[in-house]
Amino acid sequence: MTKIHTGDTVKVMDERLGLCKWGAQLWTRELAREIRTELEKMMDRLPGGGVAIIDAKGVEVFDYSFANELFGKSLLALPGEYAQRFLIVENLTGYTRENLSRALESLNLAMIERKAGKLQLIGKVHPSDQATFSIIANASEPVTATFLKDRLGINVTAVNERLSKLTALALVRRHAGVSPAGRQQYLYSVLS
Amino acid sequence: MLYIVFMRKQVVDRLDSVTFDELVARADPFFGDECSFDLTAVKWVSPAGLVQLATTCYSLQKMGRHPFIFLGDESVASYLSRAGFVAAIRPVATIEPNSFATVPLDRLRGSNPMLIEVTKIERGRDLPALLNNIVMVLREKLKYKKRDAFDVATVISEVGQNTFDHNKETCGFIAMQVYEPRHGGSFLEIGIGDYGDGIAETLRRNPNNPVIKTDLEAIQIATKPGVSEHDDPTRGTGLYHLLEIAYKHEGMVQIRSGNGKVRYRMDKRMGFPFSVAYVPGVQIALQLTRKKR
Repeated sequence: MTKIHTGDTVKVMDERLGLCKWGAQLWTRELAREIRTELEKMMDRLPGGGVAIIDAKGVEVFDYSFANELFGKSLLALPGEYAQRFLIVENLTGYTRENLSRALESLNLAMIERKAGKLQLIGKVHPSDQATFSIIANASEPVTATFLKDRLGINVTAVNERLSKLTALALVRRHAGVSPAGRQQYLYSVLS
Repeated sequence: MLYIVFMRKQVVDRLDSVTFDELVARADPFFGDECSFDLTAVKWVSPAGLVQLATTCYSLQKMGRHPFIFLGDESVASYLSRAGFVAAIRPVATIEPNSFATVPLDRLRGSNPMLIEVTKIERGRDLPALLNNIVMVLREKLKYKKRDAFDVATVISEVGQNTFDHNKETCGFIAMQVYEPRHGGSFLEIGIGDYGDGIAETLRRNPNNPVIKTDLEAIQIATKPGVSEHDDPTRGTGLYHLLEIAYKHEGMVQIRSGNGKVRYRMDKRMGFPFSVAYVPGVQIALQLTRKKR
């Protein structure tokens, strides 16, 4: 990997919202609205690069309306209102993952799930976007479009298209860096 | 497109989500002089039929009319009482003859493990407790697998929330029954409905929706993801997910609103449209194959 010098230092901060305090079975948009208020307060406190974690441990089920209101609305607000923050979900069961994935698919959205320490995308994800995301997520430091071009074996225009899409969905963070030759370039990372 | 119009006026001998249309066409309660339902020949009743009749009685009461229901079979009267129907509609309708014994609703709740009695849902915030109870009944009494019980509750939640998301001054009704025919093929039937504005009127409030001319069009549009009264990209997926879950369980769904009805056979993933006698609101009948652990 090309050695990259990032121009700034980002202090990463995580905040966690445990859903189980609202119960094991989470029904209705009305309940999700109440939880989303808590999540928004948490997102407001996060600095750029910060990570909001929705912890679904202990939750057995939520319906689609709940998922749309809590996850869907928060993801839609992410690029505009909470730029450079990440929203991830953890500890989904097989059933809650299936419901969340279907809910996100019907909204044309995707989000990051941390499962067994690894990051993956769930929801409406094209396999090529998933592959791009995986390379960025598994890299030990922020990567460039050129690096991705070499790893994926595609041209730089196609890489930039994928990166634009992932960045617009707030799944990948883009920040300015400096190449070894001293030129300014964009760097891409998932969780800093 | 093939439209099947119910014009026959015959006495119904069973009350379910199909024969209900004949009952309403015969009674003509919203436009005729009389306001009565003849169930004297009825020998069998389903939860979806009961919910449809309950919502009809409540819409008539909202219009200032007082419906009468005539029964003939004492065992049917007894079932209506056990199923909570009599108690649910007592404030808005009269059942004749009134000599048939009625049991207060409170004593019925949970008395039959095979049934969620006709239950009035007055507020959206009542739904979670009801859904938790349905999961419990399916899991513990009917031995459903967890994910199948959750699927059933999810469907009820999505449909039930529509009642309160899109209407004011109305309420919803739900009933559920499991059937175990001797020849096999056990299934669960759920009836859920309201007497609100109906799908067409609700969707017309959003100017971004396509022009909707009929109730049938409204039903067909409403089952597509993203079509809603609200101009909100996270709305309008409830009926879409209802069909998806029914498809997963190879079930049957009937969506009735106003003058339109679409019956979906999910084993073939096909919807069959019907023009039917007018009833306000939205009524849904759902049959899912019964699954055990």
